[in-house]
Amino acid sequence: MTQSARMAPEFTFVCPLPNGFHARPASHLANVANDFISESVLTNLRNGSVANIKSVLSIIAADIRWNDECSVRVHGSDEQVASSALRRFVGKDLPAFDEPLTNVLPDPTTGRLPRSLRSAGLKAYFGLPVSRGIARGRAVVLRTIEIQSEPLGRNGLEPIRESERVKQSVAATLSRIRGKLQGHVSGIEAGILQAHLAILGDVSFMNKLLERVEQGHSAARAVMDAGEFFSDLLRKSENPYTRERALDIQDICLELLEDVQGPRSSSSVELKEPSTIIAENLTPQQLLALDRKWISALVLESAGTTSHTVILARSLGIPTLVGAKNIGELAPGQDVLVDANRGFLLPESTDVVRRFYEREAKTLERRRAALASYAMRPAVTSDGRVLEVAANVSSAEELTTVFQNGADGIGLFRTEMLFLGREAAPSEEEQFQVYVEAVRAANGKPLILRTIDVGGDKPLPYLNLPQERNPFLGYRGVRMYPEHQELPEAQLRAILRASAFGAIQLMVPMVSAVDEILWIKARIAQVQEDLSSRSISFDRSMRVGMMIEVPSVAFILDQLGRELDFFSIGTNDLSQYFLAVDRDNSRVAGLSNAKHPGFLSFLRQIVAGVHKHRKWIGMCGDMAADLRNLPLLVGLGLDEISVPATEIPIVKERIARLTVPDCQKLLFEATRCQSVSAVESFLDRESNEASRSLLDRELVLLDGEIDSKEEAIRDIVDALYVQGRTDEPDRLEEAIWTRESIYSTGLGHGFAIPHCKTEVVNASSIGILKLPRPIDWGALDGEPVEFVILLAAREPDSNGAHLRVFSKLARSLMNEEFREQLLEAQDREAVLSQLNQQFEGTG
Amino acid sequence: MRIVAVTACPTGIAHTYMAAARLEKTAKDLGHEIKVETQGALGIENALSESDIRQAKVAIFAVDIGIEGRDRFKGVHIIEVPLREAITNTRAIFERIQG
Repeated sequence: MTQSARMAPEFTFVCPLPNGFHARPASHLANVANDFISESVLTNLRNGSVANIKSVLSIIAADIRWNDECSVRVHGSDEQVASSALRRFVGKDLPAFDEPLTNVLPDPTTGRLPRSLRSAGLKAYFGLPVSRGIARGRAVVLRTIEIQSEPLGRNGLEPIRESERVKQSVAATLSRIRGKLQGHVSGIEAGILQAHLAILGDVSFMNKLLERVEQGHSAARAVMDAGEFFSDLLRKSENPYTRERALDIQDICLELLEDVQGPRSSSSVELKEPSTIIAENLTPQQLLALDRKWISALVLESAGTTSHTVILARSLGIPTLVGAKNIGELAPGQDVLVDANRGFLLPESTDVVRRFYEREAKTLERRRAALASYAMRPAVTSDGRVLEVAANVSSAEELTTVFQNGADGIGLFRTEMLFLGREAAPSEEEQFQVYVEAVRAANGKPLILRTIDVGGDKPLPYLNLPQERNPFLGYRGVRMYPEHQELPEAQLRAILRASAFGAIQLMVPMVSAVDEILWIKARIAQVQEDLSSRSISFDRSMRVGMMIEVPSVAFILDQLGRELDFFSIGTNDLSQYFLAVDRDNSRVAGLSNAKHPGFLSFLRQIVAGVHKHRKWIGMCGDMAADLRNLPLLVGLGLDEISVPATEIPIVKERIARLTVPDCQKLLFEATRCQSVSAVESFLDRESNEASRSLLDRELVLLDGEIDSKEEAIRDIVDALYVQGRTDEPDRLEEAIWTRESIYSTGLGHGFAIPHCKTEVVNASSIGILKLPRPIDWGALDGEPVEFVILLAAREPDSNGAHLRVFSKLARSLMNEEFREQLLEAQDREAVLSQLNQQFEGTG
Repeated sequence: MRIVAVTACPTGIAHTYMAAARLEKTAKDLGHEIKVETQGALGIENALSESDIRQAKVAIFAVDIGIEGRDRFKGVHIIEVPLREAITNTRAIFERIQG
């Protein structure tokens, strides 16, 4: 240790983060250190790891866990100021970086097959589904690329020459990545490339490379060693997100290796038919190197759910399972089926499997068609009120799927995703391209762009925003626009220019006072003037609105209504501010609930206040995404709700069964409830879905291809699913079989009456299946069954009238004459009329 | 003969009522007078009163689960059968009473 190092400022701290020092706090600490010339070194006193604080990788690699004591030493010309800045950061800002513990994922290996497959005694490999879909393909087993297995090159080389080779290949790789970024890449791919740039630019990474060549190793060997070193360190982290960054390191090292050694001959696998890719793990580039056209599914042994490979697979729509054990034993070339809706791989295709998935494909298609009939039309209540159902998105790429799902517009385009996770803000031109792409995809439908909403919780490295104790009450959204004018200005210009191409509306986040709106409007006017003077076209009547997130604005709607064209309620923030609950604090998070009766009254007041000015009001928070809230939202009289795209068809289907007066009454009653739980049980009890009739035409099945009791039950369950009477057919099937296991519901004389009481049906239902060929049911009289009546009673409400119908029907089945009439009924109408005669006078 | 009965099954939405219907029909065919209390998802229906029970020669419990108010039947001759017997072998139950 040198003289000056001993005199250098030094301090210790204890890591206050229950989840350890993961990527996010590490990058902030590195930002602080990089503001100074001095070198700062951190030592984790638990494990002796030493880290260069200017390097994110190095900090992460020190594996600093909760309560670890660390010492920090600063050395250099500005060491005093640097030391106090670092000290301030760890003492004051660091505790704010705590994150709720990552949800414990279910252990995929304890998964179950659906009941009707289970009885066939099949072998299955369970995994956690991270991208949905069902696909069949030949197993292609990819070996994990071990960096060590690459040819090493000679040692004892000239360090200067080798270090030049390292520097050149880093520079070449950097410019290759930057080049790719300028070309046509998806937002997801761009995010991955940005992360790779950060690693290549990390000072520890470069130091490690140079250290190895100085020791006389070849450039190739240095890359392998550095790769191994950092991926090892990352893999040891307690933070799952950090662990999965190890793949990115490998990816980069493989790319660097190609640069110093030339391309590897064995690196790419050529796919020639639908293939299920099976691997211990895969880097993002390895996945991209495969021909997408032939990838039917991806199954990984590694359990990571947030690796870039997984994110990429999801964006490419590849059905994907992770954490699958023992898949290495699968034979290459074997035909396998991957069910990434449920989470398993079946290695053999038996007749039962084939029939199950043929039925499943038909069922999913029928459900899709049933929903599509609602999705592609405006959502209208049964008494004729139209409600726009729009989608929330974060990138232009999502829009095509969103509109295929039937979105009436985009209720919230979160533009900040363009700004996050990069070295510099996107230029006006880059933004303009994105907004134009979005508005073209919207094809005349309204597109609400929310201007940049960042702050303490979503920091941008290039803005140098201060760390805050309580970022949600801090410097964020519109509040930071005046100080960072260049940011909103470039964005306003890009948005206004794009407005010439379609129905763009601009929405301002985090408004708490009229001044902020006046400021934005003045900027808009300025930009308009400038664009006009340059003869650049834009939409002069572009609508301007704001998010309602801060409770204060609910009381100045008169003033705001005069200035703005529209409003959209962000329920997540509005409820947390209204109820004084930090949603990230697990001790109080339970108190944050949009179904608080006081919050419901508040919403009613807001909608009325906006409508008084004949202005439009929508809702784009999580409250709108919960189907159980739909009657409340219709009751509120909102003009639009914006929901995740996949929910749109079912939201429209449910709206079609509601009426406005019923919903208004329900909302009024809910605002008078004692508590959140009282509102919830009230909504459950009064569920409009539950009041659907027990039986309809579509639930009478007369021409099924049924071979077994399993198939018979599944057939009726599927019909309930297609009609939207259950959203969880597997669980309904399971409930029926649980009852069946007590003793057979085959009651004799060719009749069976499988039944259950369950929370997984939205409405109590009767399903009828008349079998073309009698099947064994294990009936009480040993006779085969040819007529099945399935009863599913909804819990908790168990509507008395519905139960009376069930009991009446059960009694009638003891009557021989009735049974014979049912057996003789030739078509749906005849069956329905027989049953309805029995129900008359009941409920 | 005056008979009382109670039917109850695990889910209480089907077999409770099927058994009740079978017991009523068979009793009528055999010339007995019967009153059947059902304990199902709808709660207790057609409840047996104290005098119903006092006047009965025998009580049939066609049940798969524990029932409510079992103590009402103190001192009454009880025939307890699994519920499915009341559906498939109803006559046999009545034969046991007469035999």
